[in-house]
Amino acid sequence: MRDLMPGLISLPSQLDIKAAAPLAAELLALRGKDLTLDASAVEQLGGQCIQVLLSAAATWAADGAELAVREPSAAFLEAAETAGLATSDFCTRNN
Amino acid sequence: MDTMAAIKQTFFQECEEQLAELESGLLTIEREEGDAETINAVFRAVHSIKGGAGAFGLDELVRFAHTFETTLDGMRSGKVETAPQIVRLMLRAADTLADLVRVSRDGGTVDAARVSQIGDELAQAGGAQPAPAAPVFEPIAMSGDQQTDDFGFAPVMISFDDLVGGTQADGGQNGFAISFKPKPELYAKANDAIRLLRELRRMGEAKIRCDFSEIPLLSELDPEGAYLSWHVRLSTSGGDAAVREVFEFVEFDCDLSIEAQGLGGTDASLAVEALLVEAGIKESAPAPAEIPALAPVPRQTSATPPQLAAVAPPTASQGAPAQGAQQPSATIRVDLDRVDRLIDLVGELVINQSMLAQRVMEAGIARLSDVAVGLDDLEHLTREIQDSVMAIRAQPVRPIFQRMSRVVREVADMTGKSVRLITDGENCEVDKTVIERLADPLTHMIRNAVDHGLEKPDDRVKAGKPEQGVVRMTAAHRSGRVVIEVADDGAGINRARVRDIAVRKELIDADAQLSDAEIDDLIFAPGFSTASTISDVSGRGVGMDVVRRSIQALGGRITISSRPGQGTTFTLSLPLTLAVLDGMVVTVAGQTLVVPLTAIVETLQPKAADIHSLGEKARVVAIRGSFIPLIDIGSELGYRDSEADPLQSVAVLVETENQSQSALLVDGIIGQQQVVIKSLETNYGQVFGVAAATILGDGRVAVILDIDAVVAGTGRDHANRKRNAA
Repeated sequence: MRDLMPGLISLPSQLDIKAAAPLAAELLALRGKDLTLDASAVEQLGGQCIQVLLSAAATWAADGAELAVREPSAAFLEAAETAGLATSDFCTRNN
Repeated sequence: MDTMAAIKQTFFQECEEQLAELESGLLTIEREEGDAETINAVFRAVHSIKGGAGAFGLDELVRFAHTFETTLDGMRSGKVETAPQIVRLMLRAADTLADLVRVSRDGGTVDAARVSQIGDELAQAGGAQPAPAAPVFEPIAMSGDQQTDDFGFAPVMISFDDLVGGTQADGGQNGFAISFKPKPELYAKANDAIRLLRELRRMGEAKIRCDFSEIPLLSELDPEGAYLSWHVRLSTSGGDAAVREVFEFVEFDCDLSIEAQGLGGTDASLAVEALLVEAGIKESAPAPAEIPALAPVPRQTSATPPQLAAVAPPTASQGAPAQGAQQPSATIRVDLDRVDRLIDLVGELVINQSMLAQRVMEAGIARLSDVAVGLDDLEHLTREIQDSVMAIRAQPVRPIFQRMSRVVREVADMTGKSVRLITDGENCEVDKTVIERLADPLTHMIRNAVDHGLEKPDDRVKAGKPEQGVVRMTAAHRSGRVVIEVADDGAGINRARVRDIAVRKELIDADAQLSDAEIDDLIFAPGFSTASTISDVSGRGVGMDVVRRSIQALGGRITISSRPGQGTTFTLSLPLTLAVLDGMVVTVAGQTLVVPLTAIVETLQPKAADIHSLGEKARVVAIRGSFIPLIDIGSELGYRDSEADPLQSVAVLVETENQSQSALLVDGIIGQQQVVIKSLETNYGQVFGVAAATILGDGRVAVILDIDAVVAGTGRDHANRKRNAA
């Protein structure tokens, strides 16, 4: 994950089982600030990372901060759809 | 790797159980005593084997089990009749499955042609095209009623083209409501819920809804936990089995419910659900209280839970399996070594206890003193412990009897005879070792009974018997031994022919006078075979003499009785255990010996008038008109040089396994005692005339006589002596 600019980070390409814990830690560190997740590089998105992202959305909403996902890759969209989710589920408000 | 090997071993053990279950279920169906649950049980057995085999990559096994399962599924749904020829096919398929399991475990090869032939027959019986060699399964026709089928097999490989290409036109679409909640273990084992959902999507049209209401805030989230659950409505041309197969390797790592969405309302699916819960295959549905939390609930689930609650009470927590739904089988698997170690220790305990008792006696403590009474109680307890420990090793003879039904089928097939095997007393328990070593002799006896014992169908009809022959195998406990009988209702032993053959093979003299029983007994003579041609079935170089020897090696005996035109009965009498023995403790030249009680006919004090010399050294004793050779144990085993005086001795009349009697001369009888057998071969080496050893109460080692060897040894000795003298 790289900080592209304040409030914008890029999700790594492999969001598999091994990525869940680091992703959670990374996001937790950014808690309280408006945040945009760049999902354009995501090639794989697994169940546990989906949990982390959903949890983040709920956390941001509870904190009254804003979380958004931008430029989701085809792989991201496919995984989300397979999971019965839409990109909006990962955001605090529709984007 | 060791863990893997251990798991695999457990799998094969379970396979054995499933195979036994399968066979007994099929036999029940064959007897037309089966019901839907029997067919379910049979199906489950094959299904479990397939599942396990898949996990170990045993492709051939999986493939065959799959085909088998398909046909069984047809039987479950009533599409395949339980006609006799179908059940016979199933039984042969069960045999083949057993072969494949055995080969997977022990290596070796199976008859591939036979496997594929039976596979084809199964597929045909199931109404499908024969399965091609490649591990792809032809779809079988799915009817509408298939939808309520919880186990229904459907092909795994469904191409999307098929789906679009018209299966819908003939009503081949099945609807499923799937609830799926992964546990953390699922992810920990490198499975991913998304991948499984993706599989479902590939099967057809899937409406997937994710329930993420349980997700906590990020600070409370365990990244490696499992919070999501999914509800999927799937429309597919595949059956329940295909859906289930998606979850095959994660079924224990998730809460899963797969419901066929029946056309005819919820009753059918409810019944199936209840059945599954009852069978313990599936966990009960989520508690109704949770349902409202799930937003747009699929039509089916919303209707089901309240009714379901009446049928199968949901478990308190959703995560816990519905253990109450299945009667847990109260057994544990224990390493045999541990049991044997326990038996050894209890043996030591028995010895120690009797040593202690003897010390107390020697110390001159009164019989009614507290110490002596306490010791008596201890003795009772010790005996009880010993019996209980022995019972751990005891197992019912059922598995071996079941194996015999296969032997009967095969031999009947090969010889073109129609045979019914009737078994009785399968629950009779015998020591595990005895059971294991019974397999070969019994197999041979059953082969003989069908091949030689039973007449050809035409001959039977001519003799006024039903065309179908009967082989009856029974087991029963009789006075501390287990007695197994193998009886056929064939023509009985052709004594004239047996006699001719024995004469021709120079087993007896042409003018020998033999009783019927003696002629029957010739069958056990080494090198005797009555079949005029060596048939594929019995003529495998193993004669009844080998059978007799293996039974004798188990401390058992085998006898034969035959009635012309009515059949032949072989009777096996076996010890219940190989660990203890009832013996008569005797003294010879200052040594203590144990004579196995089973060999002893009677004991007597010889009178001078009854003793006759025969030749140089041999002596016989006249008992009730017959002359019985006298064997002086002391000189025979080398305890003393001089011959014992028969008048000062006790004669123990023993019978050997070939029914000849001898009188053993011993100095005195101490008493009867149950002794713990200690192998001499293991601890020392083989000694002539000695079967094993034991430790007596006074701590001394006593040898247990090998009666047959001693008796046979004297005969040889005398022959040698005669030859030397000549």
